[in-house]
Amino acid sequence: MSEFLLLAPEIIVLAGALFALFADRVTHRPSAPAHIGAPLAAVAAAVALVIGTRGGILGGMIALDSVSLFSRVAIALLLAVWLRWVSGRGTGPERPAEAVAFAMLSAVGGMLMVSARDLIVFYISLELSTMPAYILMGHRRADARGLEGALKYFLLSMLTSLVMLYGLSFAYGISGSTSYADLGRLDGGVLGQLAVAFVLVGLFAKLSAAPFHYWTPDAYAGAPASSVAYVSTVPKVAGTVALVQLVAAFGANGATVTGVLVAGSLLSMAIGNLAAYPQTDLRRLMAYSGVAHSGYILLAVAAGGAGGHAAVFYAVAYAVPSMALMLLGAEEGTALDDLGGLAARRPAIAWSAVAWLLSLVGIPPMVGFFGKLLMFTAAVEGGLLWLVLVAVAMSVVSAGYYFRVLRVLFFGERLDAGTVTGKPAVAIAFGALTVATYALGVFASGVMEVFGLRF
Amino acid sequence: MDFPLLTLIVFLPLLGAAAVALLGNARASAGRAVAAFVAVVDLGLVAWLAARFDVAGGMQFAEIAEWVPQAGITYYLAIDGMSLAMVALSALLTLLAIVASWKTDRNPALWFSMLLLLEVGMNGVFVAMDFVLFYVFWELVLVPMYFLIATWGGPRRQYAAVKFFLYTLFGSVFMLVGIIALYLQTGTFGILEMAGAGLDPSFQWWVFAAFFLGFAVKVPVFPLHTWLPDAHVEAPTAASVLLAGVLLKMGSYGFLRISLPILPDAAAEWSTFIAALAAVSIVYGAAVAFAQTDMKKLVAYSSISHMGFVMLGIASMTPEGLNGAVAVMFSHGVVTGMLFFLVGMVYDRTHTRMIAEVSGLSSKVPVAAGLMAFASFASLGLPGLSGFVGEFLSLVGAWGSDIPAGWVIVSVVGVLLAAAYMLWLVQRVVLGTPSDAVARIDDLGAREIAVLVPLVALTLIVGVYWDSLLRFTDPAVRAILVTMGGA
Repeated sequence: MSEFLLLAPEIIVLAGALFALFADRVTHRPSAPAHIGAPLAAVAAAVALVIGTRGGILGGMIALDSVSLFSRVAIALLLAVWLRWVSGRGTGPERPAEAVAFAMLSAVGGMLMVSARDLIVFYISLELSTMPAYILMGHRRADARGLEGALKYFLLSMLTSLVMLYGLSFAYGISGSTSYADLGRLDGGVLGQLAVAFVLVGLFAKLSAAPFHYWTPDAYAGAPASSVAYVSTVPKVAGTVALVQLVAAFGANGATVTGVLVAGSLLSMAIGNLAAYPQTDLRRLMAYSGVAHSGYILLAVAAGGAGGHAAVFYAVAYAVPSMALMLLGAEEGTALDDLGGLAARRPAIAWSAVAWLLSLVGIPPMVGFFGKLLMFTAAVEGGLLWLVLVAVAMSVVSAGYYFRVLRVLFFGERLDAGTVTGKPAVAIAFGALTVATYALGVFASGVMEVFGLRF
Repeated sequence: MDFPLLTLIVFLPLLGAAAVALLGNARASAGRAVAAFVAVVDLGLVAWLAARFDVAGGMQFAEIAEWVPQAGITYYLAIDGMSLAMVALSALLTLLAIVASWKTDRNPALWFSMLLLLEVGMNGVFVAMDFVLFYVFWELVLVPMYFLIATWGGPRRQYAAVKFFLYTLFGSVFMLVGIIALYLQTGTFGILEMAGAGLDPSFQWWVFAAFFLGFAVKVPVFPLHTWLPDAHVEAPTAASVLLAGVLLKMGSYGFLRISLPILPDAAAEWSTFIAALAAVSIVYGAAVAFAQTDMKKLVAYSSISHMGFVMLGIASMTPEGLNGAVAVMFSHGVVTGMLFFLVGMVYDRTHTRMIAEVSGLSSKVPVAAGLMAFASFASLGLPGLSGFVGEFLSLVGAWGSDIPAGWVIVSVVGVLLAAAYMLWLVQRVVLGTPSDAVARIDDLGAREIAVLVPLVALTLIVGVYWDSLLRFTDPAVRAILVTMGGA
């Protein structure tokens, strides 16, 4: 029993989700679930921090190492910020309580996934984190495009999940165990390599890494921006951690894994950055930019060594400004032109957006720079200098489209602009994300030391 | 390290920028007063530092604090004579830019806070002795300059601002790869610790190439210069002054502080190539300046030519050449700043920068015309004015070095061309009969003269009394040559 207490953060968030589902029995305020959920998620993060790292528990199916700890806290805090924003602005007229509940359930899945040391736990928590995401993406029932996007997401995601499950069955067949620790026993034969490749297919799709990124732009473009803000960020953190841990576990098939990761990285960086260029909808733009950032993450994972920890750090470095931008899209409208002249209407938010955008480009002192510094250092050390050169060239390309957003914010005009009234909850959410964008960068060393991440 | 003077010099403008931004456009006159006050105090601090500076003392006023101990990244500021000259230039030109743009009425809070933010980056680059810190300041400069050009620039400002940003970013990301490679080789991010580390020559060659991209774009060296004319033509006057006066120097400073001491073998291998590009830049910039019909474009292209002399001096790797390079950097900042200010002042009155539409300034506005002629003479390298010092030393250094004599001779031709296009400019703009645009304009006001007087004084002082500048730069460049193992 006491070992279950180590899962208190997940249990707290789960309790919040269950409350959200039945909140209308208690109160008629539609924002109540988010109001309750945000502090609960923050408490969950604090509890996770107190629990710290532990070795294998529950028969070795769960382990809390420094990466799990860091990502658990990060997921809970991102959820808290997202819920704080939702408590001020809501997710739209349809079933707001359910949206909150599903986001929290998805976070529970993510928090379990990063601690999983067993393929069964991994797969179940993966499904727990993605199933609610399908619903979040399509929860506007009347919106045909949204439903189409969500269906596309559902079908592609299920397909790749099943491919991955097929791969996991090979792994079990060869090693005779579902523990991560025994994955190293996969031989380098055809079946072992297929198992590895199938698992990577599933993870690539979760990370929306090329060539399994096709669902992303359509699904994002059809979905409510507030849902995209969640689905494009939090699951990516969990997915990156799972990728890092599984790749570390695939001992004997290292060469195959590295080859696949390098190819995926190159494709993702190229497709993501180039396809983001012509986009006129913030959601599509961020979808492709997300593909590109997955490419950088795959680069670090492929490098091995300190690259794994760097990749996890970068996943958070990506999630923070990305969530902020999508939440801004949810407030102001998602066509790029909707953001026109924001600097005149909401100067504080516009200048925060400068930090978010430049962080995504990788300009210091924002967190994106330190994430890239860590990843590229690990990658050069791992002998992937040529891919790092591609990556830095691609960051310059990405600056091109991030600057299009920036230009609209400051030099665009929007004639029909209403005034979006500021709300404390919204200000708190944006403020927290902006502070994190700077602080995680300037104090990267302290943060990584607290969590015991390798530099 | 008793009193964090360098930290104050670097970050005081950041406080100023925040204060100006918070005061907002509603209290803009208070905001600009704060901006001017901060810039004056900052310049005063630099002067105070210079007074306490020990010329023979090498790196001083060092401040070291742990930042990212896991990777040996430190908060490390220090200053030597070369850095001091650059920081002084940065602090002075920022103050003058603020005074010169006193009447900015469109979004003044943003304008003055961006100027101060720019100063943070400019001061920081020249005193940061840790690679990550250096890179932070290096990139920090881009953001305010982007906004200065994109908000207050000419008709094609958006294009010019983004082009400036992307070009420089393109160069600097490769510099970042070079920094990472150096770190993995030496285990530190300390710029001074790496100097004279004796790295493998073939490794040096590649890292030098990476840094070359970063620095050469900034200088700019032909053929990486194409962002510069666009940026200068579209930028508002004060931004042009700081862009030409300080930002270009960041590139050549990088060569002097980083490429030469840390990668001496590669620098020796690259020197002929750099000298060739320098000579081409000198002649190309001068030749294109000749063809310009727009005064501002002419000054912009003349910058490419002048920065060529900096690169020539650096490529020589002799004490004369390096002193010459730093002297040109300083003098070009002062003189080109003066020229851009004057072009801006004329433009404010005539609303044109076209040489054909502006003539006969001397009979209508004698003060402006006289200063224009003075700045032009300084720019063409008239002995007795500051422009001569550096170009002379650069050429002497290059002649006495391993650089093939042909490239030095080509560079000398550039000196002649500079004399020709500047004199031709004086002839067309200053002399002659007043054109329609000039017929009814007023001469410079007291504020404008106040902006130009310090620059005129520096041009004369450095030009006549070379030692006033060289006593600071000479020990610094000799220290660089010592770490390179030569001279």
